[in-house]
Amino acid sequence: MSSGYRFVLGRPRGIGTIAGCVLIAGIVAALLTWSAQALGLSLGELLKGLPWIGDLLSRMLPPNWSFARRLWQPVLETVQIAVWGTLFGVLLALPLAWLGARNLSPNRVVFHLTRQVFNLARGINEIIFALVFVAAVGLGPFAGILALSVHGAGMLGKFFAEQMEEADRGPIEALRATGANAAHTLVFGVLPQVLPGWIASTLYRLEVNLRTSTILGMVGAGGIGFELVSSLKLFQYQDTAVCVLVILALVMAADYFSSKLRARILD
Amino acid sequence: MIEVRGLSKNYGSTPALREVDLHVPRGEFCVVLGPSGAGKSTLLRCINRLTEPSAGDIRIGGKRVTGERRQLREIRRHLGMIFQDHNLVPRLSVLKNVLTGRLASMPVLASLLQWFPETDIDIALQCLGRVDLADKAYSRADRLSGGEQQRVGIARALAQQPGAILADEPVASLDPKTARVVLGDLRRAARELGIAVLCNLHQVEYATEFADRIIGVSSGRVVFEGAPGTLDESALERIYPGLARHNGESHPSAPGVAA
Repeated sequence: MSSGYRFVLGRPRGIGTIAGCVLIAGIVAALLTWSAQALGLSLGELLKGLPWIGDLLSRMLPPNWSFARRLWQPVLETVQIAVWGTLFGVLLALPLAWLGARNLSPNRVVFHLTRQVFNLARGINEIIFALVFVAAVGLGPFAGILALSVHGAGMLGKFFAEQMEEADRGPIEALRATGANAAHTLVFGVLPQVLPGWIASTLYRLEVNLRTSTILGMVGAGGIGFELVSSLKLFQYQDTAVCVLVILALVMAADYFSSKLRARILD
Repeated sequence: MIEVRGLSKNYGSTPALREVDLHVPRGEFCVVLGPSGAGKSTLLRCINRLTEPSAGDIRIGGKRVTGERRQLREIRRHLGMIFQDHNLVPRLSVLKNVLTGRLASMPVLASLLQWFPETDIDIALQCLGRVDLADKAYSRADRLSGGEQQRVGIARALAQQPGAILADEPVASLDPKTARVVLGDLRRAARELGIAVLCNLHQVEYATEFADRIIGVSSGRVVFEGAPGTLDESALERIYPGLARHNGESHPSAPGVAA
């Protein structure tokens, strides 16, 4: 019986495999170094810039609390944008999710097409959508709502579809065996299984939408972001500080309540 | 009630069922006995076409199951099925699970909006009464014990007011005491209502105890057919090849072989 330690990999490997690993590690390291140089990653620059960060922060202090009174309206608008954006997102996602669920989709072509639509909607950032919709419907919260709806529909559609794919086949088969039609099977076999997951995803999307709607104002799509950007542009850093703190409070509150609710629903 | 002629099923080039013939009249509790992998499940699933048969003729109450897809739903409406894992819809109430057995006979739109005809609710409650679970009607299905869930599965099948019931290993995941309650409930209901039951089992004990008739299946073929009393050593040897050699070593798939 010997004591001590031994290094155990998955299974014994030859010298060739080890050489291969070393080679791959070398290539990865080289790529990272190259991109760091291209991107101007430099600890020295950061250290040199530290005083400037301190300067900006000191100009933010003390926060101009009286500015908070002017933020009620934008905060309310931010929350409203998030709620309506989520609602429209869900309404768009529901029918698409059914087409995009591998096990329920009427055929392969529709399934793949729908999945690509989801990818497209998710792949484009909300801010880009907001710019597009500002051009279409003009400045204001409606553009923001549309941006969140489209992006959210892509995300929720994918989540909803995947949750339907993971539904237990047994109950669905049992319903089919009783002679129930497709609509019955969906409503009585699939929905009860996926509904908690759908609600949880929707709440999560509401959180995401609230975070995003705080910056939609930067491109003129409504909400508190507009106040944030204007105060920065007018060098009113003490006002900026209040905006940042309010946004922080808003996002933290949303995360807290949403995760509490989700935990209860998923039980 | 259930008539099967020349039923074959191949998975690729592997035959799962070879030329199976069987007939189950109204009110009979017929057990299909055989080892795991003998094709028992495939046989049952072919009868209501959850699995597509490769060849053969299947009739329920004289109507061809193997005909058009359109007619299939109408036949399934009066053909109950009980699954090994009960396949209840979790999170739905017990009553609603039993009501799903009546969906095919209800107005579609109303039922999708959760409006159910009083007569159907009455039928569902009666069926729950038959398996002694009327008091659990409003519990969530996934809060019940395994045995209770399987009895709800029976109630769901009964709610279809079926001419025949297919039961695929209904007691495989239950303890012996609960298994007897479940099989007893199923047999009693079938006798009282004149339902033909085709029930898969792999335990010889239960088969001899509950069956009116036993059909032995091995490697996709019917190798025995007769009353429980005629299931002797040689019949068992045909159903479970190699069983005799293991006797005395307590073969797991044949507890307490009936002599």
